[in-house]
Amino acid sequence: MATMNSGNNSNTQATAQVMPSPKQTLPTAKTVDTQSVLKRLQSELMALMMSGDSGISAFPEEDNIFVWKGTITGSKDTVFEGTEYKLSLSFPADYPFKAPKVKFETGCFHPNVDVYGNICLDILQDKWSSAYDVRTILISIQSLLGEPNISSPLNTQAAALWCNQEEYRKMVEKLYKPSA
Amino acid sequence: MTCNLGILDSLNVDSIAEISENWNGFCSTSEALLKGSGDLSFSAEFITQVKNLCEHGLTSLVEQHFLRCVQETFERNGARRFWSYFEPYSNVAPLETNKDPILEEEIQQVIRKALEEISSEKQYQEKCLLLLAHALQSYEENKSQGQVNPDSTRVYLFSKYQLIVSSVLLASFPRHFPGILHWYFKGRLEELSTIAGANSEDDDELGMDDKMDLDEKSKLPDKCGNKDSDRNHEYARFSGNNKLVKNIGMVVRDLRNIGFTSMAEDAYASAIFFLLKDKVHDLAGDDYRSSVLESIKAWIQAVPLQFLRALLEYLGDFTSCNDPSSGLKSPLASHPSLCYSGTGIPSEGLVRWQLRLEYYAYETLQDLRIAKLFEIIVDYPDSAPAIEDLKQCLEYTGQHSKLVDSFISSLRYRLLTAGASTNDILHQYVSTIKALRTIDPAGIFLEAVGEPIREYLRGRKDTIKCIVTMLTDGTGGNTNGPGSSGDSLLEELNRDEESQENTIVDDDINSDDKQAWINAQNWEPDPVEADPSKGSRYRRKVDILGMVVGIIGSKDQLVSEYRVMLAEKLLNKSDYDIDAEIRTLELLKIHFGESSMQKCEIMLNDLIDSKRTNANIKATIKHQPQPERRDLEVSLDNLNATIISSNFWPPIQDEAVNLPEPVEQLLTDYAKRYTEIKTPRKLMWKKNLGSVKLELQFEDRAMQFNVTPLHASIIMQFQDQKRWTSKNLAAAVGVAVDVLNRRINFWISKGVLVESTGADSADHVFTLVETINDTGKSGTIDGGCEELLAGDEDGEQSVASVEDQLRKEMTVYEKFITGMLTNFGSMALDRIHNTLKMFCIADPPYDKSLQQLQSFLSGLVAEEKLELREGVYILRK
Repeated sequence: MATMNSGNNSNTQATAQVMPSPKQTLPTAKTVDTQSVLKRLQSELMALMMSGDSGISAFPEEDNIFVWKGTITGSKDTVFEGTEYKLSLSFPADYPFKAPKVKFETGCFHPNVDVYGNICLDILQDKWSSAYDVRTILISIQSLLGEPNISSPLNTQAAALWCNQEEYRKMVEKLYKPSA
Repeated sequence: MTCNLGILDSLNVDSIAEISENWNGFCSTSEALLKGSGDLSFSAEFITQVKNLCEHGLTSLVEQHFLRCVQETFERNGARRFWSYFEPYSNVAPLETNKDPILEEEIQQVIRKALEEISSEKQYQEKCLLLLAHALQSYEENKSQGQVNPDSTRVYLFSKYQLIVSSVLLASFPRHFPGILHWYFKGRLEELSTIAGANSEDDDELGMDDKMDLDEKSKLPDKCGNKDSDRNHEYARFSGNNKLVKNIGMVVRDLRNIGFTSMAEDAYASAIFFLLKDKVHDLAGDDYRSSVLESIKAWIQAVPLQFLRALLEYLGDFTSCNDPSSGLKSPLASHPSLCYSGTGIPSEGLVRWQLRLEYYAYETLQDLRIAKLFEIIVDYPDSAPAIEDLKQCLEYTGQHSKLVDSFISSLRYRLLTAGASTNDILHQYVSTIKALRTIDPAGIFLEAVGEPIREYLRGRKDTIKCIVTMLTDGTGGNTNGPGSSGDSLLEELNRDEESQENTIVDDDINSDDKQAWINAQNWEPDPVEADPSKGSRYRRKVDILGMVVGIIGSKDQLVSEYRVMLAEKLLNKSDYDIDAEIRTLELLKIHFGESSMQKCEIMLNDLIDSKRTNANIKATIKHQPQPERRDLEVSLDNLNATIISSNFWPPIQDEAVNLPEPVEQLLTDYAKRYTEIKTPRKLMWKKNLGSVKLELQFEDRAMQFNVTPLHASIIMQFQDQKRWTSKNLAAAVGVAVDVLNRRINFWISKGVLVESTGADSADHVFTLVETINDTGKSGTIDGGCEELLAGDEDGEQSVASVEDQLRKEMTVYEKFITGMLTNFGSMALDRIHNTLKMFCIADPPYDKSLQQLQSFLSGLVAEEKLELREGVYILRK
């Protein structure tokens, strides 16, 4: 028992030792950051709402402005016409210096989207720049649907089928499960 | 009869013969007695016969036979004849309105005659009955040696008789008789009332009455002589009509005598009430400028009560009359003791009558006033006496709910209709508050009455604007409003408050312990919803402003509307004179608090600063006169600028306009000088705002105008070029063609320009009218000075109205709502509300209430943008 207790104690001590450092160092930097990130996200939301682009939309979830839900619809004259996909966007604390994590929530049969909804898009990875915002991300994903990058596919089946648009369309329709 | 037959069996022949002889004799004598006209010669014979029959144990037979004879005779002689008097009037009585004096007189005579006759008939029969009673009684006394209650037979016989009389009469009762009675009493009372009215008019002519009253007066107890001389006097005057009262009294007494006590009472009571109602209606009428309650009370004292007093006196006490034995006494013998119930101490019956009459009067007046409450409130300050009357009536009757119901329905019917202007409704609302707070200082009924008005006003778009106008501006704008006494409501409220405070101070000084005790006794708990911060004095005052603001819901909306109005007013000012506005602002501050009026205060300060800055800039010109000043057609002296801190002003309509080159130059110059004085600040001109004083010189006339800059720059273009097409002119002025076409109408209507269709039908050509004769118009306006602010004509405003602002805000919310619904599918009202609160951090942050949001959402549902399904909103695709 005694050892157990001491073990516990040492654990708490350890955490107590670890915890203070971020608490002491981060607050000043973090609060300033959080404030500016908040402001940035708010103004992005405002801009997105006022832009009135058709087929793309996103909105913060419940009470957390760092997690958004997005919606994009397939553009006209593509195999994705008439479909609607839900996305989730989560913004890092040091946004916009790091890209947000964007995933498909609705299953999407697409060469650059894997079964888990992960997206292979350059601006969401190495090509990210703080000049991008939610609106440009959504527009990029929307255009990615119609113009996939066949050279680096996540879904090889989809990449293979892409050349046959008619068959592809049938596949999309077959796999499309719209969210309620 | 059967029981008697048993007795007959045991009798011998002699006895039978004796009985039959006596019986036959008894039958004929009683017949003769009853038929006879007052001849009592058979009485001795009658008594012996009765005695003999009684000795044979036939007492009950005798009684029954005699009573049947009486009944038959009464039916034949009394009742039939009595009713036959009234037969000719069977169809006259229902015509209450018929005021034929001859007929009335005739009926009066007939009633009296019929009653007299039937009374005498009854009297005679009673005498006969008395005879029988005596005979029976003497027999009983002999038999039991005076141990029998001497009156029992008589009492029994008379009660039987009374029953017979009334049942006989009622059996043949004609339906119109109560009507005739009612009519009769009404006629008599009206007569009395006119006599009383005439008497009170010429009080001096009492000498004549005095002589008549002398014997009557001498009967009065002396003790009330000096004490209550006034009343006595009145009484004396009234007894001048004694003859009339006596006549009525006689009728009433006779009616009672034949068993119509309650019918008689009903008849004269209804006549009195009828008269009272007429009197109330007559006195109250449609005049609300005077109090009528006192005069009604006085009239009750003067006419019906005096009448009743005389009547009761004449008739004697109720209780003794109702006693069946009273018939025995001569009905003409009045009770002398009753004179005591005269003037000094009113009898209990009289007090009851007075209470009844007063209650009826209060109720009648109250009903009358409640029915007309709407009109009364329309001319409220003048109709205060009527309100005061109503208050007293209601205190007495306690029928406040009647008032609330009736008033609300008349409000709905007459005020809350599309035809009534918002201003009128508001004025009526304020009048209602003012009027009803007299009746109901606690404001409970006011709350009930005010709610429908508030509810209705909330549905009107211009409510806020009207409220603000009414609050701040008594004279301007709505001079046709009924309540505009040239003073704003705010000023009035302020005055009220000051005077109220003064009276409170007075109260405090005067109040002694007794007053404090009364106050404490009258204390009532505040309603639960009462605002504790207001502090309840013994009588809480109704907060008019609070109730007016309550229409809108929050003072913020009112303040922002006022800000827009203030901005409009200030921007149109050319002389920096803002004393009135400062005063209004100070008053508003008292009611709404300093912080909410802060922006308005800054706006006013801007004006004050502008005045100073303007003067400073003008001063710089004098210090360094510029050489090229000659070139300018207008000097800086002619320019006055209003410099505003636009952050604190409501959004200002911006409209591009090209001003004429010299003016532009002037503005630039002014701005430059401003920057010199106020570095680092810079002026940004709102060129479309403000006003321009113009003088137009024509070949044959000169005209002066006060117009907006746009109008001025339009007309300036015609200085060098007499003809413009609308396209070119619009380009030159720098506005859209349709704007130009709208604005240029002003100059056309003034006869300065004429419009003609050019080559292109959409392109109009405007030509300057150099001389009046060109157009053939009569020269009515030549040389005239037109002082017009053209901007007002178009209903254009330099400041975005609160509605516009709200609409603009709402479009932002609409986009947000669409955004969130796209991503979340469906959302309930409060989630939308919360999400907006959290994320919609637009320029004016989301600050609407749940109700406002709900009405906005239902607007979107109506526009088929959204769908409401099971409490959640969904986007319609």
